[in-house]
Amino acid sequence: MAAGQNGAGPASQTILVVGGGIAGVTAAVEAAEAGQDVILIERDAALGGRVTKLNRYFPKLCHPTCGLEINYQRIRKNPRIRVMTMCEVQGISGGRGDYKVSVQRHPRFVNERCTACGACANATEMMVDNPFNYGLDKVKAAYLPHEHAFPMRYVVAPEAIAAGEGEKLKAACAYGALDPDDKGETFDLHVGAVVWATGWQPYDPKKLDVYSYVHSRDIITNVEMERLAAHDGPTHGKILRPSNGEPAKKVALIQCAGSRDLNHLPYCSRICCLGSLKHAAYVREQYPDAEVHIYYIDIRAHDKLEAFYDRVRADPQVKFVKSKPAHIRVGEDGRPMLHGERTIDREIYAEPYDLVVLATGMQPSAVAGYRPTMGLVADEYGFLVPVEGDGEGMFSAGVASGPLDVSMSVQSATAAALKAIQAVRNA
Amino acid sequence: MTTPAPAAGKTYDLSFARWVRDNINGGDKLNLCMQCGACSGSCPIGVQMDYGPRKLFMMIRAGMKEEVLSANTQWNCTSCYRCVVRCPRGVPVTYILQDLAAKSAEFGYAKGPHENKNFAQSFWWSAATFGRTDERLVTMRYFFSLGLGEGFKRAMANLKVALGMVKTGRMHIGLPHMTKGRKGLKAILAKAREIEARH
Repeated sequence: MAAGQNGAGPASQTILVVGGGIAGVTAAVEAAEAGQDVILIERDAALGGRVTKLNRYFPKLCHPTCGLEINYQRIRKNPRIRVMTMCEVQGISGGRGDYKVSVQRHPRFVNERCTACGACANATEMMVDNPFNYGLDKVKAAYLPHEHAFPMRYVVAPEAIAAGEGEKLKAACAYGALDPDDKGETFDLHVGAVVWATGWQPYDPKKLDVYSYVHSRDIITNVEMERLAAHDGPTHGKILRPSNGEPAKKVALIQCAGSRDLNHLPYCSRICCLGSLKHAAYVREQYPDAEVHIYYIDIRAHDKLEAFYDRVRADPQVKFVKSKPAHIRVGEDGRPMLHGERTIDREIYAEPYDLVVLATGMQPSAVAGYRPTMGLVADEYGFLVPVEGDGEGMFSAGVASGPLDVSMSVQSATAAALKAIQAVRNA
Repeated sequence: MTTPAPAAGKTYDLSFARWVRDNINGGDKLNLCMQCGACSGSCPIGVQMDYGPRKLFMMIRAGMKEEVLSANTQWNCTSCYRCVVRCPRGVPVTYILQDLAAKSAEFGYAKGPHENKNFAQSFWWSAATFGRTDERLVTMRYFFSLGLGEGFKRAMANLKVALGMVKTGRMHIGLPHMTKGRKGLKAILAKAREIEARH
């Protein structure tokens, strides 16, 4: 593009970061602290993405709130970062140093005057599925995304406005923060470089029809297990069977539920083995007499993460079963029954469990949402990869670029921030 | 279930896996198998096999030619295709088993009266001769291929079923059903045999 010619400098040195998960937040903070202006846009009502919905990180089992809180402090203290929530990219044109990005803001019905007092939530009886807990419980139709939300601002479900609750909510708000007439808007941003940190979605367990996800409430996914174990989850941190609320004392964790399968996700999602080892630790922490069986093809705990694998393996109550379960049926007692072949001793098994957790893999969000038609290309699985030497100012970070765990996402985001800084300064 | 374990002094045919890859329909996909066990776990009659498909494939890799070709696995497969549908690596398990059965018969591993082999041969005889399968002729040929006494015993045991089928119009009396263009069928089969012989 013409930008940067004749020493005039690029039209814009601002860096746009698309996606406010751990990778996007990292890229935004790193670029801003290096002196660039940054706009961070996020589709959800609050930052934090998938990480904020975790109970703990592996391998040290510390809480994600810790790492996120530090980053939110860095955002608050840095006037160079502008955060826009409930926004999505609709299209993009231009070139390095001079991109025009059209953005759609979805209605939140609550403006920046909100003090998070909760009066609106008290004013309505309407309940909606709680997106923070993957719909495992309900929340008031005017709600704070979660207790650690950034920005700390309520959001109103569109269903509540459609049901005519708007005026009631508006009357309850003492700060004039409620706007039932919010229609959202579209606007353009002019930026010099774009970091795509659009993250991932859990693979849809309904597509794994042999694993009967839709037939039993006691068959859940790994992301739902995180919420089940979290203090602000649907069970306040107690790992209970969703069907009857009893403690889950015999738990099966199924690896590669969708991943490494030509019928579903052909690639290894890389985080699920460690995720399930962590889930084994959650269960064993809560119930001294619980049994956990991990069904695996092979355990992929690479380099330093092997220490955590060894730690979990030392627990005699955690058994590793080398087998890809063939199917799950619901037994006569209502418990999920696993069927398959134990490949070590070639025994065919039928084993009942209180709770079955499917380690579903990661699918790039770009598969479902907007994906750039220039500057980056989607590989055969939908991960965004740069075209080397094309002179564009677009970079992918975190799981948008490939299946990564949190620490690798942070590394990739820092690298993307550096590339974006170089792109706008050399434009 | 007994398993032929690797024993000292036992000979293994180390070229067997390569032979399977080159000569068995679908054998070129066998190297994709990652031994997850989804096939054996899915098999509705897996308990009636000497070895499940996963184990059989491992034995092919190990060069256990004699054990593989004399196994009943390939004969007991009902071609339900559940394993093929579920295999995460796209291995055409059923095709491989079907061709292993054909080859083990060809090499004389399924000797003497062999239920599944004899039934398959009776079925094929009817299909190739008439272009249709005739229940009466397939069944009779199969029963008596197991020996005169055995054939008579089985025929008598199934008499009531057969009469019931005739009565309800599920089996006819008279000449066997045939396709119209039987000359064409013969020509097609002759050509197929000619093509097969070239390979």
